[in-house]
Amino acid sequence: MKSLRLFRSVRFNIGLFFAIAVASAIGTLLPQAPETPEKVDVFMRAYPFWGRLFGALGLFHLYQSWWYLGMLVLMAFDIVVCKLWKTPPDPGLVSMPPELAPEADMEGEFDKAAASLRLKPMHASFLIEEPPAQVVGRLRAFMEKEGYRIQEALREEKSARWSLVGTRHRLQRWGSYVAHVALVVILLGGLIKQLYGFVEMVPVLEGRSRNMQNKPDWELFVDKFTVQYYEGTATPKRFASDLRVEKNGEELGRKTIIVNDPLDIGGVRFYQASWGAGGMFRSVTLRLGRQELQLPQRTALPIPGTKIHAVAEMMLPNFTVGADGRADSASLDLKNPAVKLVFKVGGVPTRPLWLLQRSPEVAFAEGDDGVLSHIPPPPFKLAEIDPILFSGIQVAYDPGFKVVLGGAVAWLVGMILLFYLHRRRFWFLVGPAQGDGRAQVLIGAWSSRGSQEFQKEFNAFVGRLQLELGGGAPGLSPAP
Amino acid sequence: MELKLFAASAAFYTAATALGFAYLFSKDERWSLWMLRLLGAGVLLHLASFGLRLKLFWEIPENRFFFPINSFFGALSFLALAVSVTFFLVEGRHRLGILGAFVLPWACLASWGALWRAQAMQGTEIHGLVPALQSYWINIHPMVLMASYAVFGNAFGVGLALLVQERQVKSRKPGELCYRLPAIEELDNLNYKLIVTGFPILTVGIIMGGIWAYGAWGRFWGWDPKETWALITALVYAAYLHMRFIAGWRGRKAVYMSMFGFACVVFTFIGVNFLSELHGYLSNG
Repeated sequence: MKSLRLFRSVRFNIGLFFAIAVASAIGTLLPQAPETPEKVDVFMRAYPFWGRLFGALGLFHLYQSWWYLGMLVLMAFDIVVCKLWKTPPDPGLVSMPPELAPEADMEGEFDKAAASLRLKPMHASFLIEEPPAQVVGRLRAFMEKEGYRIQEALREEKSARWSLVGTRHRLQRWGSYVAHVALVVILLGGLIKQLYGFVEMVPVLEGRSRNMQNKPDWELFVDKFTVQYYEGTATPKRFASDLRVEKNGEELGRKTIIVNDPLDIGGVRFYQASWGAGGMFRSVTLRLGRQELQLPQRTALPIPGTKIHAVAEMMLPNFTVGADGRADSASLDLKNPAVKLVFKVGGVPTRPLWLLQRSPEVAFAEGDDGVLSHIPPPPFKLAEIDPILFSGIQVAYDPGFKVVLGGAVAWLVGMILLFYLHRRRFWFLVGPAQGDGRAQVLIGAWSSRGSQEFQKEFNAFVGRLQLELGGGAPGLSPAP
Repeated sequence: MELKLFAASAAFYTAATALGFAYLFSKDERWSLWMLRLLGAGVLLHLASFGLRLKLFWEIPENRFFFPINSFFGALSFLALAVSVTFFLVEGRHRLGILGAFVLPWACLASWGALWRAQAMQGTEIHGLVPALQSYWINIHPMVLMASYAVFGNAFGVGLALLVQERQVKSRKPGELCYRLPAIEELDNLNYKLIVTGFPILTVGIIMGGIWAYGAWGRFWGWDPKETWALITALVYAAYLHMRFIAGWRGRKAVYMSMFGFACVVFTFIGVNFLSELHGYLSNG
């Protein structure tokens, strides 16, 4: 196929490897919208021109961009064109060095074979004081003992000439083929996931439920959520959700899920991915001198002994003053929780106050426009917050995973075959030596690891063979 | 005690490397022999230190029977061990002697890096594992990948020796070194053999990571920088293999490619810490 020549060229494909590598590298240096949309926003604000340009080129969705996926598809196509167009090109048992094709003229065949074996980088020859027929029998037995599969390629009874071929680890020739098929299978698995699978993050507040987007009638209930930390650190030791999944009120499954141990309902898997705090809490505790006042969210309660009512409006888990001067949360982690309090004196609300649990010396007042201003710390403290945490459940359905897994196993098999098996091939020509009854043995060899590495083994092999057959010193091929 | 043993092993590695360099410029075979002996002693001390580390690490119940490789110190220490052991095996088999000066500096760098890290963190970073790492995969996936890094590190050293030898051969006055270094062809072959050993380990390690990721987050591949850079590394080595197998590249050109692959390995191991939170040793993840 002439038109496909480009796709079969090594240069083109190595170029393609590098194009994929460079594009992949760029994707790790620029923020990616599917993973970190907020960083993309920061980049766009900092470099508006480059941001627009990169956006137009799809560099913020690089791994999903048409041109990146196109390169992956092209790679799969090239593998098919290069590797799978023909089934393994080498049948493994080549009767003679491939440059020889058997023809009708047998005598000529043997001479040509002999000439070609002498041209092999690894060859040897020696004489045996026995008739060729017997030598062939013992040669066969020896090769079989050495673990070789042996076949007769040519035989000429009249002049007593034989040609044999012995091979070992023939499976090695499948290695490259299997590995390349495996790559295509893995890419196909990825494609199946893109087409038919989904991933979505469902944050569910403890004690509540939420419906999925991809399966709108599936409802996720987190009956209990727990998180434990290593003592004296902020490193989580374990976090777990008692998860229940219902479809129209009918229970589909339930399990206490932890990281690395998801719930599986017919291939849809529910992973414990993260947790965090929204703005919800069960109660906050205010300490006023010796008194403590527990306030549920948005419920006005009187401060004992006064006419003042206090309301805890909302909580921010990781309090910060935003760029616009208003209260904001840097993340959903409970790193710096703060509560907005409003006091009502005779029903008239005061300006809202922000108190920080971990920095009691800092307090803010909120203006009508929401802008914060520092105020001296008030005579009461935020003693405790009992937040309602949400459990981040990642729901994933990946019908391609088993395909990928199959490809992975095939890749492993292919690698072992290709690189860890050592395929060897021996050709033997046995015939009468000129003028007497002795047999002449001519040996040529080929190894999948190249002649350099095989030379020692070859020499030792010839030595053993000769000892077995009982001949004189062999004429070995010179070391390459 | 763990750190003291580790520091002692680092000292032995350094001494072995120094002997490797000494051997490069002298004819005395004893240097080479003592290099191997000191290296062996370093490996034994390192193993003892690792044993102690395991004991301390497993005192935290959540960590029990997982390997302490979740920190920069742990990873560097393991890498130094892997490079030393791989070199010990390669050298024990091929007895080229001369390669120590080219390969062992990597073991030194890794163990010095670990010492520096222990100094900076005031300890050997024995922490409880975060939930994502409490999986039997932590005993397999990183170990397999570091084994491949170690093999590639050895290949890099061999490649370096090849470049030096080539310069010697081409120069008008080849020095002593020329006669002491193995033939270019032999080095080229060894470089290739190491890469063919490392490449399957690398790719299988990456795939194992994918299977773990599927078990932990429901996705086989997520384009995390570490994953992506591991893929880039595999692509570069795949390009090397194709160049050798199909285009018949040998010697310097092939070695440059394999060295570029090792640069990617180093970036995947160190550089990506600044890009990835998921796989970052620095983010303590």
